[in-house]
Amino acid sequence: MSSASAVETLDLVKRFGDFVAVDRVSIAIARGEIFGFLGPNGAGKSTTIRMLCGLLTPTSGRATVGGFDVATQSEAIKRNIGYMSQKFSLYDDLEVEENIDFFGGIYGVRKQRLQERKDYVLRMAGLEDRRHSMTRELAGGWKQRLALGCAILHEPPILFLDEPTSGVDPIARRNFWDLIYRLSEAGHTVFVSTHYMDEAEYCRRLALMYGGRVIALGRPDELKRELGLRSMEDVFVELIGREERRAS
Amino acid sequence: MNLRRTRAVARKEFLHILRDPRSLALALAVPLFLLLLFGFGLTLDVDRIPTLVYDLDHTPASRELIARFDGSRYFDVRGYVDNYGAIERGIDRDQCLLAVVIPKGFARELDAGRRPAVQLILDGSDSNTASIARGYAESLLAGYGFDVQAGAVQRKGGIDLNAPVRPELRVLYNSRLESKNYIVPGLIAVILMIIAALITSLTIAREWETGAMEELLSTPLRPSELVLGKMAAFFTLGFVDVITSIAVGVLVFGVPLRGSPLLLMASSAIFLFGAMCQGILVSALARSQLLAYQIGMITSFLPGFLLSGFVYSIANMPPAIQVVTYIVPARYFITILKGIYLKGVGLDVLWGEVLFLIAFALLVFFVATRKMRQKVA
Amino acid sequence: MWRRVFEIFRKELRQALREPRMRIVLFVPPLIQLIVFGYAVNLDVNVARIAWLDMDHTAAARDLRAAFEGSGHFRILANPVSERDAQMLLDRGDVQAVIGVLPNFGRELDRGATAPVQVLVDGTDSNTASLISSYTTQVISGFAGRRMVNEQRAKLVASTMAAGTAVNPGAPSVDARTRVWFNPDLLSRNYFVPGVVVNIVALVTIMLTAMAIVREKEIGTMEQLMVTPVRPLELMLGKTLPFALAGFFEVALITGAALIVFGIPFRGSPLLLMACSALFLLSTVGVGLFVSTVSETQQQAVMGAFFFFAPAFMLSGFAFPIRNMPLAVQILSYLDPVRYFISIVRGIFLKGTGVAELWPHMLALLLYGTLILGASALRFHKRLD
Repeated sequence: MSSASAVETLDLVKRFGDFVAVDRVSIAIARGEIFGFLGPNGAGKSTTIRMLCGLLTPTSGRATVGGFDVATQSEAIKRNIGYMSQKFSLYDDLEVEENIDFFGGIYGVRKQRLQERKDYVLRMAGLEDRRHSMTRELAGGWKQRLALGCAILHEPPILFLDEPTSGVDPIARRNFWDLIYRLSEAGHTVFVSTHYMDEAEYCRRLALMYGGRVIALGRPDELKRELGLRSMEDVFVELIGREERRAS
Repeated sequence: MNLRRTRAVARKEFLHILRDPRSLALALAVPLFLLLLFGFGLTLDVDRIPTLVYDLDHTPASRELIARFDGSRYFDVRGYVDNYGAIERGIDRDQCLLAVVIPKGFARELDAGRRPAVQLILDGSDSNTASIARGYAESLLAGYGFDVQAGAVQRKGGIDLNAPVRPELRVLYNSRLESKNYIVPGLIAVILMIIAALITSLTIAREWETGAMEELLSTPLRPSELVLGKMAAFFTLGFVDVITSIAVGVLVFGVPLRGSPLLLMASSAIFLFGAMCQGILVSALARSQLLAYQIGMITSFLPGFLLSGFVYSIANMPPAIQVVTYIVPARYFITILKGIYLKGVGLDVLWGEVLFLIAFALLVFFVATRKMRQKVA
Repeated sequence: MWRRVFEIFRKELRQALREPRMRIVLFVPPLIQLIVFGYAVNLDVNVARIAWLDMDHTAAARDLRAAFEGSGHFRILANPVSERDAQMLLDRGDVQAVIGVLPNFGRELDRGATAPVQVLVDGTDSNTASLISSYTTQVISGFAGRRMVNEQRAKLVASTMAAGTAVNPGAPSVDARTRVWFNPDLLSRNYFVPGVVVNIVALVTIMLTAMAIVREKEIGTMEQLMVTPVRPLELMLGKTLPFALAGFFEVALITGAALIVFGIPFRGSPLLLMACSALFLLSTVGVGLFVSTVSETQQQAVMGAFFFFAPAFMLSGFAFPIRNMPLAVQILSYLDPVRYFISIVRGIFLKGTGVAELWPHMLALLLYGTLILGASALRFHKRLD
């Protein structure tokens, strides 16, 4: 496994009893890349992300994140990544600023630096005048940005975003992707999972997951060209159709 | 009320329960476990009171008195000391509850026809046991005193006198005076109450928390149907608990069931229904599970345990509190339980209590459905 | 490390204080238990309610009745005229015992034979029944003794007058001089209220700790925390410290109420009380943590906590004396941390005992707390599987 990759997996497998959630996934993500993980619900995206974050132990196979092995060096990984879960996982009964203070403190961001990062995050999320609002009062789009902000306070080189745009309106989704671009330009590696096909276009490279397996891997324009289709949605429908036919 | 919708809710609840094996096991196993543990473990019988004896006289008379303490089932003479310090230490360390001090010259005083005083020292920190110990000890001394009197009279007068008055004691309902005979019936009530309130209040509060309740209420489902449907499943569980508890009480603990089993089950069912409605009301009021639990505990477990007459007799409580107990449904149920189990009485004696339980159940049901409806509007 | 602990602690504290219901939880149960155990529960059987069934109607029967009434242990509430009426009174629970004087009572006494007195006691409450039996025996013994002495005196006087010598009849007996230590009036509240301290602390800390952690699991923030560099130990400390503080608060609150409102004596060292509370909190917080590691939902957490708390409470000696339980159960109670703290608290409040007498209990608490915290720590890991 080469060290130029930010994230690498080799035949990664996760089994829950008889059910194979992740079936021999092998991908490599370069530094600074925006990598998309697409697929319908239940395809195994979240499970893969969780393994990469050190939350689940792989059944077999290997993976490294930032050069650290997920099975044996998960603590080191956790210091170097930011994670945004599907549920946005913020504390509803804390103020915006208190959530930021909390995660900043947990990640060990120095007091001085935390002040700067806090201002940055509030500006990025557009919540400067809402620092003392209760988090539960924020609408979906704001929560989403706050959650992202809390994940990057410690300037992690690698970011894992698990369906960060679910349940958010299209305009907020677009704005969110602007943020992701900026982060990528600043040098962060971003691993995003989503079930919105139009967002596939925004990724530099992507993997299509279905039934625990990666059924396509590459750049959006490459994939479209190979199949002679115009949109990622069509690509998706075609490939999944093939899978289903193969299965039956 | 539409029976079909009610049935749909009931079926959903059944599935919820059946698919949550943990909660199911808890709901069925916990009452059984509690019943067994407390039935075997709990006793209010006070006997074998640890006693120390400090004999300053060392005469046949003092030894005779000591023998009476030793031979009594109420006292367990743990040691013979020869100074007060040992008594202090024994009491401080919770090693003895009673110390009997026989003064020097005890026998002499008796022979002279006087009344020597035997000192009884009690550890008052356990006031209940101490009260009872005191009663037994003083009674034992009175008995000894009487025998001494009788002996003296006989010796002096050479007359053969019978004890003029003899008590013929008959203990009703619980001839072997085993406290488990009244603890076990009472436990059934306590357990049911806890489980009923706990289960119902928690599940509904959880639905509030997850938002599923709002969804349910936005359907044509009427609040009363929702309440009944939810209860159907829990009621079945609770009733299984009732049957088990009754069976265990009779078979394992040998608590006599002298009255009508039918009346017992009917009143249990009514009580259960009321307790569950109470649980539903609590959860309709409390939006969070934490609060539902706390309220449930405060309004069902504590009063049920403390104010129902289960352990602590209501007649002894201050009048103000006695008034409060009138609104504790458990109080009536306990009376019914003890009545049916031990006294073998029936509806003719217990009609008042049964009536209250019915009224309570209906009232709470009505209020609970009202509350549910308000949440929608 | 400490920074992380502090952050978690601060977050928990903020969340807890913001929750208006938290205030309810901290104040209402203590209040209720104090009222109930401070005022309501009264175990003393001082005065038994009895019915008097006089089927003899002689002076002797009336004397016997006077003896009962004058003893201070009995209150005659009813005077039924038939055995059936008397039975009804017992069945309804209106009286606790019926004293029945049979039709030939007076005549038998005059004849010098033994006259039986029927004592029917409601045995449903066995302790009360035993005590009533004892009191009855006492009163009847006293009555019989006096009658006997009087008869003897009469006979002796007659024979003296016949023989011409003076005889001192003398009536020896034994007096009981009872001294009750620590609680001279044998007030139930002195027995119970110190126990309420223990009860509340256990209830509050176990429940709140367990639910706070499980709630985070349920809403998903636990996963978020697991992804951070925070260590399991730091997470445990941060999450449990606020509730330990709540525990201390409760100890102070209830002790204050006990002393000021109820006049419960406090003869020992407040410092020792606090130190032992800390030891006890190790256990309760540990239990709360342990419950949270085996529960996925708050409902399970509550049931789990209850599953521990109810037996612990019942077997702790708070309401039921341990010494009378079957041996197997007594051994079981040694595993109950509440038991030790109850002994400690009663000792400190009522007996003024110190470390010299209480050290075995303190040691037990320390051991238990360490064990349970250790077990919880092992189960607490930063993985979802």
